[in-house]
Amino acid sequence: MNSSWPLIITLGYIVIAIVIGLGARGRRQMSSLEEWGVAGRSMGPMTLYLLIAAGSVSAYTFMGAPGWAYAKGIPVFYVVIYLGYLALVAWYFGPKVWAFGARFGHVTQASAIADRYQSPVLGALAALVMSVGSIAYAVLQTIGSAYILFVMSGGAIPVWVGVILVLCCIAIYLYASGQRAIGKTNVFQGVLMFIVAWAVGLWATHTATGSWGFAEVFSRLAVEAPEYLSLPGAGGDMSFAFWTTSIVVSMLSFMPPVWTQWMSATSARTIRRAATWLPTYYLVILPMVVVGFIGIFAMPQLARADTVALEYAMQHLPVVLVGLLGAGTLAASMSSSEPFIHSVALTYAKDVFQPLFKLSDATAGKLARWMIFPLMALVIAPLAIAEPGNLVMILLIGLGFASQVLPAFIGMFFWKKATALGVGAGIGVGFLVTVAFTTLWPHPLGVHAGFWGLMVNLPVFWLVSRITAPVADDVVERFFRIAAPWQYRADKATHGLASAETR
Amino acid sequence: MRRSFLLPTSWRGWCVLVCFALVIAAGLWPVIELVNRGGLVFGLPALVTWSYVILLGCCAVMALGNLLIREIDDE
Repeated sequence: MNSSWPLIITLGYIVIAIVIGLGARGRRQMSSLEEWGVAGRSMGPMTLYLLIAAGSVSAYTFMGAPGWAYAKGIPVFYVVIYLGYLALVAWYFGPKVWAFGARFGHVTQASAIADRYQSPVLGALAALVMSVGSIAYAVLQTIGSAYILFVMSGGAIPVWVGVILVLCCIAIYLYASGQRAIGKTNVFQGVLMFIVAWAVGLWATHTATGSWGFAEVFSRLAVEAPEYLSLPGAGGDMSFAFWTTSIVVSMLSFMPPVWTQWMSATSARTIRRAATWLPTYYLVILPMVVVGFIGIFAMPQLARADTVALEYAMQHLPVVLVGLLGAGTLAASMSSSEPFIHSVALTYAKDVFQPLFKLSDATAGKLARWMIFPLMALVIAPLAIAEPGNLVMILLIGLGFASQVLPAFIGMFFWKKATALGVGAGIGVGFLVTVAFTTLWPHPLGVHAGFWGLMVNLPVFWLVSRITAPVADDVVERFFRIAAPWQYRADKATHGLASAETR
Repeated sequence: MRRSFLLPTSWRGWCVLVCFALVIAAGLWPVIELVNRGGLVFGLPALVTWSYVILLGCCAVMALGNLLIREIDDE
């Protein structure tokens, strides 16, 4: 590929993202946690829809998912299902989380945990450990961004330059406009990704089969390589047990940026409106996955499966589409990494440094904004440039921890008797089991390591909560009046009836 | 008496809970084993078509929830 158009289009996307991100600020002051952290709780249903959708569609959709389809086939669709279920999670929990934030002033997940269990230590611990997975995720997305620039420039932009370029771009608008920048850029990125994915998928299908529909691709595969079209897939490793437990664990992992996104809504009802239609966005995955399936017969000898979409595009598609694919993939990786960077900076300032050094809210707000620079310069950039071999393992361990925080949320939404010690004990043993079953003995019996962790975590959480002192009644009631308002209305009605009968 | 573990208290709440449970069960074993056939449905592998039916099902149950449950008083 000798044309410079793909690089021009990809760099053009970066310029547009910066302009939109900087413009998102308007004339607002960004020094408060409320404004920089959760955009003054100002996002409407359409912005929220694209914020959550684009945030959950990472470089995986443009590189990893076609790669999975190329290497394994149908197992890749577990992602589509769990993303749909995450919308159900957003529909149910999002409005309650929003109400916690609006009434109690929470701007992060860890601050809600600290408040519910009256334990700043538990909040700080959750913030620190959740940040491991978040940072590893942001690093992987940054590597993906730099790789795209490397490919689109024909090697002229080395990975280390790409890392610095992408992080500088994000830093500029993230510092200036905080969550508002993430919201506005995700709207642009979300629309761009959807259009690019379908344009590339349809064009690639037409190039490969002469037809615009996907049926020809699958008809050919059904004859030539049927093992790709049903579980356990061509790799033979996606059993029903692993499929099921992977979906359950992914659905129950409440990542901190998602929490912050919910808190950015204008109202609880806004979240329900956005969540209701959120699954429709995941149609974006289908055409890119089809490109991976095309690769099975069009490029059978590919060395790296996750380059299948890019390789196919560069060999068969017009340069403009190649450039748009570069821009779309870059949009996907940036739209996923920036919420994680933002959320780590926010939670370090709010949940770790503020209680530790007794900072005022104003100082914590300023600190959160500045925190993105050392985070990017000292942690994310060096890791992205060095590409340590165990980065994926760090990510898996971090995500394993995310699933083990479930007891904290059970105590917030369903079970009043949950205690800080119960949550801590459950998380501790669940995390150890998950790490052991991720690293030492991966996924015993074909069951996801995080699921094994939950099997141990939840009984320990229940047992320890039963034998330790509960959180003060007024705190529990404060939370459950939001988590289960119907119960308090039912109580009021029952008590009213009893009083009337007594009289 | 207030229970320590919360469940719905109205038929509307139970209806939404059951619909949520059904749509989640549709994506997991054993239902997924029933759908896991090699043939094509609407030109797509059966499991792919089923995945997108589940996405539509998610939208449908949330839309139903919006109709039945109007308890959000946090506006």
